[in-house]
Amino acid sequence: MSEPNRGRTPGRLPWFASLPALVIGALFTIGPLAVIVAFSFMTRPAQGGGVVYQFTTDAYRTSLFTKSFNGDLVFNSAYLEVFWRSVVQATISTAICFVLAFPLALWIATRTPRVQNLLVLAVTIPFWTNLLVRTYAWMLVLAKDGVINQASRALGLGEHELLYTDLASQLGLIYTFLPFMVLPLYSSLSGFDFRLAEAGYDLGAHKFTVLRRIILPMARPGIISGSLLVFMPALGSYVQPVLLGGGKVLLIGNLIASQFGDSRNWPFGAALSVIILALLGLCLLGVGLWARRTGTKVSLSL
Amino acid sequence: MSELIVDGRKRVPRILDIRSFPGVGPVAVAALVFLYLPMLVTTVYAFNAGDQALVWEGFSTQWFGYVLTNHTIIDTAITSVQLAVAATVAAVVMALAFALSVDGLRRRGSALANALMAAPLIIPEVVLAVATLAFIRMIGLQPGFLSLFLAHTTFCIPFALMPIRSRLDAIGREVFEAGADLGATAAPMLWRITLPLLVPGLVSGALLSFVISMDDFIISSFLSSAGSTTLPVYLYGLIRRGPSPAINVVALLLLTLAVVVTSFTYLAPKKKRSES
Repeated sequence: MSEPNRGRTPGRLPWFASLPALVIGALFTIGPLAVIVAFSFMTRPAQGGGVVYQFTTDAYRTSLFTKSFNGDLVFNSAYLEVFWRSVVQATISTAICFVLAFPLALWIATRTPRVQNLLVLAVTIPFWTNLLVRTYAWMLVLAKDGVINQASRALGLGEHELLYTDLASQLGLIYTFLPFMVLPLYSSLSGFDFRLAEAGYDLGAHKFTVLRRIILPMARPGIISGSLLVFMPALGSYVQPVLLGGGKVLLIGNLIASQFGDSRNWPFGAALSVIILALLGLCLLGVGLWARRTGTKVSLSL
Repeated sequence: MSELIVDGRKRVPRILDIRSFPGVGPVAVAALVFLYLPMLVTTVYAFNAGDQALVWEGFSTQWFGYVLTNHTIIDTAITSVQLAVAATVAAVVMALAFALSVDGLRRRGSALANALMAAPLIIPEVVLAVATLAFIRMIGLQPGFLSLFLAHTTFCIPFALMPIRSRLDAIGREVFEAGADLGATAAPMLWRITLPLLVPGLVSGALLSFVISMDDFIISSFLSSAGSTTLPVYLYGLIRRGPSPAINVVALLLLTLAVVVTSFTYLAPKKKRSES
């Protein structure tokens, strides 16, 4: 161990100045996660929320089985279906975000620097806009008297049930997370020397071969980061299924929240949280291993 | 373009204009329209004169008057601003101290420290929300302003940290070495060199923290109590009942906040893209 202060750049603070941030981070990030893991193995009280400090794996069992009248465990796929639906919606969101974001990022990266800055700003503004506002804006578009139905009626195409549907919830997710895909893609494409792509084309490659063999591999770190930044929060989404899906489409995030609210089964809610964290952890681990093997640099910040 | 002779044959160079790659422009423009159309709709309807959110009855600013004199909206907005200011001050101070000292931690696990700072970005917000609720109950706190303050400070720190760090990286150590050579000791160095140079990063960090705190709904909804309802928590209750002209105005005001803060943060200082 060397002296912690030695070799320190002048003007920096001693190492212990980072303690307040670390302590509050540890306390309010690791602390809650530790508590949620602990709660998931505890017993539900006879009534109300909270937990009784008594070890049990009932909460995990609840996610797959229900007790029948005579006390037998019966397989119950209801919660598995919620998980599946969440994974499907998150996957669709990631795929469609990519389809929209890749051309947008490529287009931005090939503008002049000044225009690039403005376009990045244009993508960043929705990112910093209140989530409720962004979701509400789609209610105005999709509602019964909304913009789409007004246009549809004017064209004589009649009225459509758009708001409070599966589709609306899915659309909300895509809209919310699009900037999360564009920004990392742009950041991996912006440093690219596009003369290489031009050279490939000049040497006889088809335009789509250039795209597939030169540009896409360049963008790979951005694709991975962007996909993770869309998939992970989309998997735990909570607002869009309620406001746009009308609460009819239950996703895992809503199920977790409701366990700490109305139905008050904290251990079950905790167990669901642990399961989703484990899924995301596996996801990250897989990507991490893949990144190490292929030498791709993956970053999870915007 | 001149002709080339390759293998004894004439060859015309094939020019790929990357700026007009087939299909890229139209999809890009469509994606931008997709991003901005809902916001445009919200903006327009905020100026609707009618009593219904979506039936246009002419231009009026009357709903701004309604919103700005509505006690519940004003009260919850004040709670949100107080919370955001408190969390921002705490987050910026801690992020600054962290940015200036994390290098000294290298042997003590700065990678771990950095991962800890990024954790709130990766954990699903609902999970962090219910976990924080369980945690504060466990340590004997109740939902309320103090709990909100602690949770908001925690998730604001990473956002305060990003611009402070990229600014610090952009300054370069020569400046500090020159200061040290000229005899500046720790305290004057901090006050006369480090902090003034970091001002743009600190301002950006503070603005981003402020917006992140003002915007938070999910964590706040679990930690709010009757006396400490924030604007987004109240707004959510309103939105669940369907569109209304008052919500249009509140939405436009929050949208304006995002536009002003983002433009200021990204256009004012020449931002150096940092890859972490």
